[in-house]
Amino acid sequence: MTSENDWPDSLIPIIEEFRDCFDSMDRYELLFDYAKKHPTPLPPSKWTESNQIVGCQSRAHVECNLDEDGNFIMKGGADAQIVQGLMAITAIAVNGLSPTRVSQLSPEYANTMGIQSSLTPSRANGFLNMFKRIQEEAIKLS
Amino acid sequence: MALDLDKIRSEFPILERKLPNGKQLVYFDNAATSQKPKCVISAMSNYYEQYNSNAHRANHTLADEATTALETARKNIANFFGTNPDQLIYTSGATEAINLVAFSWARQNLSKDDIVVLTEMEHHADIVPWQQLSKEIGIEVRYVPIDTETFSLDMDAFSVAVSGASLVCVVHTSNVLGVRNPIEEIIQLSHSSGAKVLLDCAQGAPHEKISFDVMDADFVAISAHKMAGPTGIGCLLVKKSIMEKMAPFMTGGSMIRTVTTEGSTFQEGHAMFETGTPRIAEAIGWGAAVEWLDKFEMTDIHSHVQELASWTAGEMRKIPGIRIYGNPEDREGSGAVSFLHDSIQSLDLALFLDEGGFAVRTGHHCAQPLMDALNVPSTNRISFWIYNTMDEAKMFIEYLNYVVERFS
Repeated sequence: MTSENDWPDSLIPIIEEFRDCFDSMDRYELLFDYAKKHPTPLPPSKWTESNQIVGCQSRAHVECNLDEDGNFIMKGGADAQIVQGLMAITAIAVNGLSPTRVSQLSPEYANTMGIQSSLTPSRANGFLNMFKRIQEEAIKLS
Repeated sequence: MALDLDKIRSEFPILERKLPNGKQLVYFDNAATSQKPKCVISAMSNYYEQYNSNAHRANHTLADEATTALETARKNIANFFGTNPDQLIYTSGATEAINLVAFSWARQNLSKDDIVVLTEMEHHADIVPWQQLSKEIGIEVRYVPIDTETFSLDMDAFSVAVSGASLVCVVHTSNVLGVRNPIEEIIQLSHSSGAKVLLDCAQGAPHEKISFDVMDADFVAISAHKMAGPTGIGCLLVKKSIMEKMAPFMTGGSMIRTVTTEGSTFQEGHAMFETGTPRIAEAIGWGAAVEWLDKFEMTDIHSHVQELASWTAGEMRKIPGIRIYGNPEDREGSGAVSFLHDSIQSLDLALFLDEGGFAVRTGHHCAQPLMDALNVPSTNRISFWIYNTMDEAKMFIEYLNYVVERFS
């Protein structure tokens, strides 16, 4: 699993940005901003039962594939903006990595950013379920 | 008479609580479960500390005290609901009470082609048992629609649906919309058509006097925990003459009279349906809760929650993007206000409100057919009860305005 010093480069400025937030409402606002900046969104028309994340309070879907260079690409969509924001940050972190590296990442970054502690336990579980699903897909694609 | 809110609130220790972020708790999730006054907590603690014992079994002092307390609670709870204790069966709550009707009465008295009428407003607990029965024995289940403009039952459709029905199952007050259904008219129309009536009073009982013998419903399902009582207990009120036509659906423990290797005989009356060790502490806690509630006029509680709901809904309607589902300004309605914002998703909004200290409910509220009728996947819901204040309602409006301005 990754340590704090081993985050993907794309994640480091985001972690800093969240650490600079004054309070949890600031962090939520930033998550709302990231929800709009999802690099690989999965539109609702492609939400199916098979790509739905079980155990998430909102509707959340992910689809994982490899690009033509064999790098991991995660598409995601959720109806709740906070979940969509978490997905966007995760996509920024994992897109372009090898599937093996994705399978070794730790979800701890959400904690480091101060997000996970702001989430209710059921929300935190939803995030962890999303992350677990992505890693399962990464293992399959390795 | 106006309620003494300072005194009432002082009886609920949890209302003093601060959340981990330092915010003062504002508890607006009373339709899910109410908080408990100290007298209820003490009554349950006292049972465990002083006379914990199994009821209806031994002859020692503690067993006598436990049995007496259990049966005194039954008497007081039955009295609170305007009936006698012979017509009260303890259950785990309203859900088990409805299932008891489905298993113990309907399976004995209904058969293929009998008709059970439900409404689109029902909680899942009052839908699924009938769907299961339909699969098992082929009853027909009819659903009375709601008018999505007025959020009220379509009584013209009800009049048609009830024709030929054997059982009508209706929620007294919707847990989502806060709408109180015209139960007097429903009971009258149903009985005229020869149908029995089951009322789900889980949401009505906390703020409206339920007088079982006067209202003349055949079955009434109630949960204790929404009216200051503990979780894990409720009751089915059932007319004695109908109880005699019910068969047990669980067996063993308290409901047994004799068992031989050849067969068994059962207790009569409510005891036939109360298997295993009774919920003694819970019954005692509920008994304490109705004793506490009896200090107030239910009409005062109703006026209080309705006034809070009405004022809050009126202010919410002024906030851009907020849509309210139900008629909280209706004098007959409950303290529930369901709403959505047109651009802030309900789960996001619930999280923001929690951040402000406000405990609200979000989701389909175990009423997915109603969500389908309203064409929404979920709603946010605030729900008031006896200890909520106008100051809390004002703080909520101020905070909701802030959230909407910041995130929409």
